[in-house]
This record gives sequence, C-alpha cells and structure tokens, in this order.
Amino acid sequence: MKPLWENYFNKKNADSPVIHALQSVPVFNELTPKQFKEISRLIHKRNYKKGEIIFKKGSLGEGMYLILSGSVVIKDPESGIVFASLTNDNFFGEMALLDEEPRSAQAEATSPSHLIGFFRTDLMSLISRFPEMGNKILLNLSQVLTERLREANKLLMEKPQ
Amino acid sequence: MDATLKIYRLMVGLVMAGVIWILFPFISLVLIMLVLSFIFTSIFLPAVDTLERRIHNRGLSVLLIVGSAIVAFTWFLGSFMSNFGQQIKEFSTKLQEQEFSNSLIALSDKIQVMIPDSMLNLIPESSEIITGLQGKLSNVFQNILGLLSTTGNIIFIIVMTLIFTIIVLVEYYSFKRSMVRFIPNRYFEIGLRLIYNVEQQVSKFLMGQLFAAVTVALLSILGLFILNQVGANLTLIVFIGIIAGFANLIPMVGPFVGMIPAILIAIMNNLGNSAAMGHYLLGAVPSPFFILDIILMFIIVQQIDNNFVTPIVVGESTGLHPMIVMIALLIGGILMGPLGMLFAVPAAGIIKVVIQEISFASQNSHLI
Repeated sequence: MKPLWENYFNKKNADSPVIHALQSVPVFNELTPKQFKEISRLIHKRNYKKGEIIFKKGSLGEGMYLILSGSVVIKDPESGIVFASLTNDNFFGEMALLDEEPRSAQAEATSPSHLIGFFRTDLMSLISRFPEMGNKILLNLSQVLTERLREANKLLMEKPQ
Repeated sequence: MDATLKIYRLMVGLVMAGVIWILFPFISLVLIMLVLSFIFTSIFLPAVDTLERRIHNRGLSVLLIVGSAIVAFTWFLGSFMSNFGQQIKEFSTKLQEQEFSNSLIALSDKIQVMIPDSMLNLIPESSEIITGLQGKLSNVFQNILGLLSTTGNIIFIIVMTLIFTIIVLVEYYSFKRSMVRFIPNRYFEIGLRLIYNVEQQVSKFLMGQLFAAVTVALLSILGLFILNQVGANLTLIVFIGIIAGFANLIPMVGPFVGMIPAILIAIMNNLGNSAAMGHYLLGAVPSPFFILDIILMFIIVQQIDNNFVTPIVVGESTGLHPMIVMIALLIGGILMGPLGMLFAVPAAGIIKVVIQEISFASQNSHLI
C-alpha cells in the first residue's frame, strides 16, 4: 500500500495521459488547462477485452469514446462491413453527444483497449455548471460535424453518376 | 458463463444478502441518514451548481447554500420554540386562574343551550369538565415541553445528515463517476442514462414539492391574516403557515396536521373572549374559537394546492396512484414514524421513476 503523502503528490499527474489524449480531440480545441482538468474529472475510463462490444448497432447513443490504447473497429454487424479501424487518440460516436438517435453501427474492441467515455449527461452538466466551456465544446462539435458533412458532400460529388 | 463461476457468484450474493439482513438493524440509522442526505443533495444541487457558475468555487458554493439553509432553519426553530414556549407558559398560567374556570362554565352553559334536553344527561357537569380539562391540558403541554427538550438523538441525526450532504454536494460529480465505474461495460451507457433521468425526475419532483410547500405556507399565512381581520386573534401566523406548508408534504395526513397548531392557538388566545366563543361561520354555522373558519380556510388552501399548484409544478410524471400513496405512507409510518411518512411519497416517486426508466431502457436499447 502506498503511503498517503505519495498518493497525494502523485494525484496531480495521475490524469496527465488522459488530459494529453483529450487535447488531441478536436471537440476539446481551445480549452484552457483548468478546463481540461475539469473535463478529466467528468470523463469515464473503461477497459474492454478483445472482441468485447462497446456499443451495439441500434442501441440508444449516449456519447463519444476516445481510444487511450488498443484498437477498435466500427462495423455493420449484419454485413460485416468495416467502416473504420481506429487506434490510439482516435475518437468515435461523437454524434451521440447531440442527439438520442440509435447508433448507426457497432463498435467492437479488436485488442484489449483502454477508452475514455465522454457522454451527453457529462456535457449537460458542463453546460449547466460552466456555460462558457460548454459553449466552446458545442461549437467545436458543430465544426467537426460540418467538416464531416463537407467531406460527405465531396465524396458524393466525386462519385461517378 | 462458466457454471462454477455462476454458482460462486450466487453463493457470494446469498452470503452478502445474509450479512446485510443480519446487520440491517445496526446500520438502519446510517441508511436513514444516507437517504436523507440524498434527498437534501437533490434539493440543494441546482442551487449549488448555479452559485458555482457565478463564483467558480464549489466548496464555497456548498458552504454558502447549506449554511444559509442551516441559519434559516435554526432561526425558524429557535424563534418558534421561544414564541410557542411563551404561548404555552401564558396559557398554563391562565389555566390556573379563576377567570378560566368562569370562561369554561360560560362555554358549557352556551353549549347546553344549543343541545336538546334528551342529550343533556350524556354530558358531564361543568365542574367535572373543568377539573378533567385542567389536569389533561396541563399534562399535554408538559409532554410537549418534554418532547422539545429530548432532542439529543434528533440533533445527532441532523448533524450527521448535514455532514453527509456537504460531502456529497462538494464531491458530487466525482462521487457519481466513482459509482458508475462499477457498472459492467454491457450496461454502462444505459446505466448512465438511467442515473441521469432518475436524477432529473427526482430533482424535479423534490423541487416541485418544495415549491408547493412554500405556496401552501404563503396561502395559509394569507388566510390566517384574513381570519385575524375578522377577529380570530391568532398569533404566530408565520410559523403556523410554515408548519402547514411542510406538513402538506405528507399527503392525506399533512393538511390535518397543519390545522392543529392554528386551532390550538385559537383556543389558547380566545378563552374568555365571548365574541370568539359565540362566533358563527358565515353568520349561520356555530364556530366557537373560529375553529370551523380555520378548517375551512385550510380546506380552501388545500384545494388551491391540489388543483392548481401541484399539477403544474410537480406534473403528472411522478403522479402516484392514491392507493400507492396510502401504502407508502403506511410503510413509512411503520418504519420511521412521522419522518418516514414525510419521506415515503418521495421515495415511492423515486422507485416509480426507476421502474419507468428501466422499462423504457429495456424496450429501446437492444441490450439483451
């Protein structure tokens, strides 16, 4: 067992890998170190075994995940088509932060994975307690989604008729 | 899952249930404190979050909000006890005076005039009533004073509940995160959703109840003030109003509890006042000491609350069937007495919300 003083002084750096990972996510762009610390107090660290399902297609979406380590595939469980293979510092499921629609695909860990979950309920409490930070995240989120929309439009335009 | 593991888990579960069953009588007080602190946390949380948004310091926000509530409650209890104590003291002195006996004889004569001769022999003589009443009323007031002084256990519960509430409020979000850590991955998202929705519903329900209590308190004060304008001679109307407001949180029983202090004070203040003793409600129904006026006023306040305030602020979402309310009140009363009755309905409301959310989740989540 660690002595109390060791725990206490280690506490400061305990969340630094999480904060570091959060800084790489566009949804949290332009937040101050204090705001990152606040988010790190809200987020949920989850561990998944290889082959474990993170969320199922059709289940109600609650929020986004960020991969701290490991790998995850986003796929259609019926056809087996893989939409994306994701690794460290990649994030997915961010659309569920805004709406309560069922998930459009399934997320599955392809190796033992450590993920960070940031959910709509956390975003709600941030908006209610720190409106300035909540607004920044919402703005960033809308920018991410706009970019996705633009890319989708581009793909549609490029697709031969 | 491996069959051995299943049996192992079942055995561990059974052992834990047995241990809880054995320990329950010893830990029930702690559980009561935790439930109370959960309810207070739900009440204070919106105010703490709002203040934190302004002063950017959660600890200070909690201290300011809980501190203000403690000061307000202590002021109320202190002022009420000293004023009510004074009132009882004055009344006890009055009981020993000859004037009181004369008033009661006058009242008895008045009642005898109203009652048919055939029923007169059922009523004891005035002197018997006076002797009986002097003895019994003195005992009642002595008991009330005794009850007020034996508050040691209650103070311990209040202090511990406050400490729990402050800790939970300061560490609310970290505490919640630690709790949800134990939810298995498979149920994690749905668990979060369930907790959030229950939290919202409970907060809405409790705030609604609080708002309804404040409304009933204000309306009761207004009603008592109007009664005073027509000569009811009621004192401590602010305290009576506040007691009526909070007693109103106990459905069915509460409104009657709220009337009692008002009626007691009306009797205490108007003994010997012939105008009050011979008062008629609306000039038609005999209402000695304005008792019927007070009851009517509380019924009107009750109706306003039941038909306008509660449906709007509490809403239908947490509305419980009257039968469930009665069963919850009985269980609460048996387990914890009046305090149990006060918290029985919110607890039943919470259980209803949890069941609703679990049912919604199982229908919409494709989990299993």
